[in-house]
Amino acid sequence: MSLSPHTTPSGFLLPSIHAAPPFFTQQPNPATQAIVTEQWSRLILSYARHRQLFTVRVEDAEVTGAYILEQMAAKNQLVYDPPKQSRSALLYWRTPEEWAEVLHEWASTTGQLNTILTFYEIIEPPVPSPLSGIPMQILRKAIHILTKTNRAQIIAVADGEGVRFLPGNAGK
Amino acid sequence: MHRLGGVGLAAFDRQQLSQRSFAELSSELSQAQVDLLHAQLDQFRTALVRFASTHRDSIRRDPNFRHAFQQMCAKIGVDPLAGPRKGGWWAEILNLGDWQYELGVQIVDVCVSTRERNGGLIEMGELVRLVSKLRGVAGGVIAEDDVIRSIKTLKPLGAGYEVIDVGSGKKMVRSVPMQLDEDQAVVLAIANQEGGRVSEQLLVSRKAWMPERAKAALENMLLRDGLCWLDDQDEVNGVAYWVPSAMHWDE
Repeated sequence: MSLSPHTTPSGFLLPSIHAAPPFFTQQPNPATQAIVTEQWSRLILSYARHRQLFTVRVEDAEVTGAYILEQMAAKNQLVYDPPKQSRSALLYWRTPEEWAEVLHEWASTTGQLNTILTFYEIIEPPVPSPLSGIPMQILRKAIHILTKTNRAQIIAVADGEGVRFLPGNAGK
Repeated sequence: MHRLGGVGLAAFDRQQLSQRSFAELSSELSQAQVDLLHAQLDQFRTALVRFASTHRDSIRRDPNFRHAFQQMCAKIGVDPLAGPRKGGWWAEILNLGDWQYELGVQIVDVCVSTRERNGGLIEMGELVRLVSKLRGVAGGVIAEDDVIRSIKTLKPLGAGYEVIDVGSGKKMVRSVPMQLDEDQAVVLAIANQEGGRVSEQLLVSRKAWMPERAKAALENMLLRDGLCWLDDQDEVNGVAYWVPSAMHWDE
């Protein structure tokens, strides 16, 4: 019996460890469990990135789901959303800082600097972008990071929230 | 009729004299033999050195030739690992010191990098495969023999590198100082036969162990030594133990 990598229908390559039955059991040996957690974290994040998925729920995972999500939260690889519960979380397969850069880059290359954009226009742009479908909470965090380097201003608009992106680099 | 040599004190003296002569003669003989032996050994050594240098490249490149050379040395009582220089003959005469050293480093490399997954115990076939991968095509072919010999030279490191025979021709390499008791060796042997999976029931039925003994051995491997992983959703037995070093991984 050979354990091999396996490609999912969406073209994601599952590592061979995913074919090993004990991978789905919580390990009593802490050192072993640490490895299992590490492997699962990596797998979850890269799969989410591949499918552009943001939300993970404990119910979707196997038995060890809650524990692994806990560990990932502790390492800031995800954040529980809504806060103060631990059944559902947003995955940071890009960190908020990385999202900030992607956001500013997108605004810049699509010629939308110095224009007022609503949050909605960013999340559901007419032309699909790296920001398409981004959860509100992550968008807000990314914008907040940009305001710290004067590359974004929050503007109040008629119905909703808006933002104006300004030129600049992360270094400033 | 006279006794040859006479009787009495004179005879006694004569006996002592002849004894001394015989003794001298025997030590003379031994010296001659020893001298001859020395000469022969020198000649032999020269021939061996010449053979080794002529065939150094073949030894370096071909594991079968390497193996045959090793066998030849063993037959005539030459231990290629012994000698003043580290690595013995291989280093001193064959100038394979670097080659040997490099192989040792690669073995340690593979063992350390797979240690997290298998707890410091790796199956020989997998070790050879991964070392070969590390060496690439330019490294030449490496055989199990070479690895075993190299591990012998790693012994002074005191890191616990050792080759363990688990029966049916399978060998494993241990790279952490760990007490592998007999029961664990049995578990490992079964794991190797079953593609990595062991269970209490399997040990009871195959080895006629008491359930308590099976459980103790498995729990030790799991909790104390980190040598196996738990599967509590096993379809056959409910609970099974998987030994990563005995599983076949297609990387």
